[in-house]
Amino acid sequence: MENKQPLLEIRDLSVVYPSKRGEVRAIDSIFLNVEKGGRLGLVGESGCGKSTVLHAISRLISRPGKVTCGEILFKRKNLLKLSSREMRNVRGKEISMIFQDPQTTLNPVFHVGEQIRESLRLHNIIPGTHLPWPFDIARKRQEKERVLQAMREVGIPSPMDRYATYPHQFSGGMQQRALIALALVCEPSLLLADEPTTALDVTIQAQILNLMLKINQDHHTAIILVTHDLGVAAEFCDTITVMYAGRIVEQGPVDDVTMNPQHPYTQGLLACRPVISKIDQKVQPIPGNVPDVIDLPPGCAFAPRCPQVKPACLEGPIPIFQTGEKLFNRCLAQVSYERDPLWSWEHIVRQCDE
Amino acid sequence: MKAIKILERVLVSIPIMFGVAIIVFLFMRLTPGDPVDIMMGRGGAVSAGEIEKLRSEFNLDKPLHVQLWLFLTDAVKGDLGYSYVQKTPVTDLIRERLPATIELALTALLFALIISFPIGILSAVWQNSLLDRFSMAGAFMGISMPGFWMGIILILVFAVKLHWLPVQGRIDFDAQLAAGTGFFVLDSLLSGNRAALISSLKHLVLPGFTLGAGIAAILARVLRSSMLETLRSDYVVLARSKGSPEWNVVLKHALRNALIPTVTVIGLQVGVLLGGNMIIETVFSWPGLGRMVVAAIFQRDFPLVQGSVMVYAITFVLANLIVDILYTYLNPKIAL
Ligand SMILES: Nc1ncnc2c1ncn2[C@@H]1O[C@H](COP(=O)(O)OP(=O)(O)O)[C@@H](O)[C@H]1O
Ligand code: SF4
Ligand SMILES: [Mg+2]
Repeated sequence: MENKQPLLEIRDLSVVYPSKRGEVRAIDSIFLNVEKGGRLGLVGESGCGKSTVLHAISRLISRPGKVTCGEILFKRKNLLKLSSREMRNVRGKEISMIFQDPQTTLNPVFHVGEQIRESLRLHNIIPGTHLPWPFDIARKRQEKERVLQAMREVGIPSPMDRYATYPHQFSGGMQQRALIALALVCEPSLLLADEPTTALDVTIQAQILNLMLKINQDHHTAIILVTHDLGVAAEFCDTITVMYAGRIVEQGPVDDVTMNPQHPYTQGLLACRPVISKIDQKVQPIPGNVPDVIDLPPGCAFAPRCPQVKPACLEGPIPIFQTGEKLFNRCLAQVSYERDPLWSWEHIVRQCDE
Repeated sequence: MKAIKILERVLVSIPIMFGVAIIVFLFMRLTPGDPVDIMMGRGGAVSAGEIEKLRSEFNLDKPLHVQLWLFLTDAVKGDLGYSYVQKTPVTDLIRERLPATIELALTALLFALIISFPIGILSAVWQNSLLDRFSMAGAFMGISMPGFWMGIILILVFAVKLHWLPVQGRIDFDAQLAAGTGFFVLDSLLSGNRAALISSLKHLVLPGFTLGAGIAAILARVLRSSMLETLRSDYVVLARSKGSPEWNVVLKHALRNALIPTVTVIGLQVGVLLGGNMIIETVFSWPGLGRMVVAAIFQRDFPLVQGSVMVYAITFVLANLIVDILYTYLNPKIAL
């Protein structure tokens, strides 16, 4: 936004889940830049690795999955090099997450307000000397005050009454608001939102997105919004990254990507989104299915579904081309490309092991 | 509101108690063997007149429904009759024996919880580890091994061979413990009697462990599988994403949810605790209710069996009531 300092820089990030059928390369050589107060959209069909990117950033990849290579620079520190204690101080305080299904994300047996307060307590947000439990009444009261303030800010009506209620007494939209309050109560500088509106009604979706936009503007909290809906990302974000089968296929400022998409997959995503102003417009779904990341073709992963496929696309991996100042595109359709026959995806992975 | 619901539950258990009373009454009379014959011995040296006199004294000459009616009306007044064999009020006999049984049952429960919780939690946290495999194999053995057999093996090893622990009874004969509540551990604590405390604790170890082992095995398995489920849940990911240390994630966020199904199983195991104690008390010569009931059944001591079974039934209903209350406290989605 105003001050374009980098907050998060991801380089060459790859994550692998070992499985019985072989290694699932959930994400491959991902690179991202998020500026302070920026809004990045991560778009792609289900299974393309969007959540894995977010989990890698907060180092919450579930076992036996692991980051095989790359760097995640957050405020110039490589998160992958932090001790687990240092990483815990980052989680929730500097980098927070909100999730797809608010109904299962809140812990059903604790009061909503107390769950938000736990974040404050974990990170010692209230300053001063502290007496241990059960003599921490003064501290508790201050924390509760902060929680109520956060609940008010995310638009939970009568937070005083709602503080000591259980999650199942909230509607889905209210639960998601509570989770946003929980994520923001320690004032993090980065919010990772994993399809935060997918499980909600359409009208609630817009409210939640507006709330996130307001928080982004009021607090300068940078946001990475994961969504399968390019339209949502187009409305919300300033930068868009389109992923396919664990790899970035197109990245750039929102206007370039949505007005003038270069990758056939992005073009397909735009074409299959109905535009309300054009009633008689035909919605064209992308033909074919999402590929199985365990068994990708040697060439372009999108080739089986691509209307512009040409022989060079099938021969080997497609490098990513920089087509503008901040514009990237992984496609051979518009370029002539001399292939090094020894260059393969395995080659790239081996390189990052070194 | 909650108090009303609890009262409702108590009221519902009253007809259950009547049902139990009637069933026990009928079963005792359906089993072959006449109490007066058994009392007199098989010698037949007693005259027919004396036998008739005994029969009418015990109301055994009256029709079955009259006997049942007399039993029920007396029981409501708190009078469970006289033991045929010991010629003492059944309530006195039960009052004398009950503390021993409760002490043993609580010890067993304590053993079961102390063993099962660490094992169940750690096996889930380190799923498929050596500890997990080893303890689940142990749990399988614990479930399949009959209590009396385990009791005898433990006696042979720890009492007979190693002399670490006593073979039987509640306390050493020479322990000078003044009469009190009947709970020996409590009594020796209250009177500051160290020797008696150590002796009574030592006597509790083997029977308590034997009775608790099977329950520990079941609880460990239930806890492990519920922990595996809660550890995979979204709220655990949320807890981690807040910056929660792992022990807090496991012991607060995951365990608190895993307790909900576990408590239900604990409630079901109260029955095992009560039923198992008859066998364990016999194996360890534990002077409790269970051993008394077993003896009373063989002697066809109808009033004593009926009275004791009623006490078992009340205990069972009470324990389940406590578990139900605990369950609603643990699970906010359920109102009692
Ligand atoms: N815990 C896991 N174990 C094995 N494979 C996984 C795991 N989580 C995700 N994957 C695989 O990684 C790929 C990317 O998943 P994910 O990041 O959840 O995609 P998205 O969020 O875009 O739907 C999928 O193919 C999925 O099968
Ligand atoms: S590289 Fe070839 S197959 Fe892949 S998207 Fe571009 S044109 Fe289509
Ligand atoms: Mg996802």
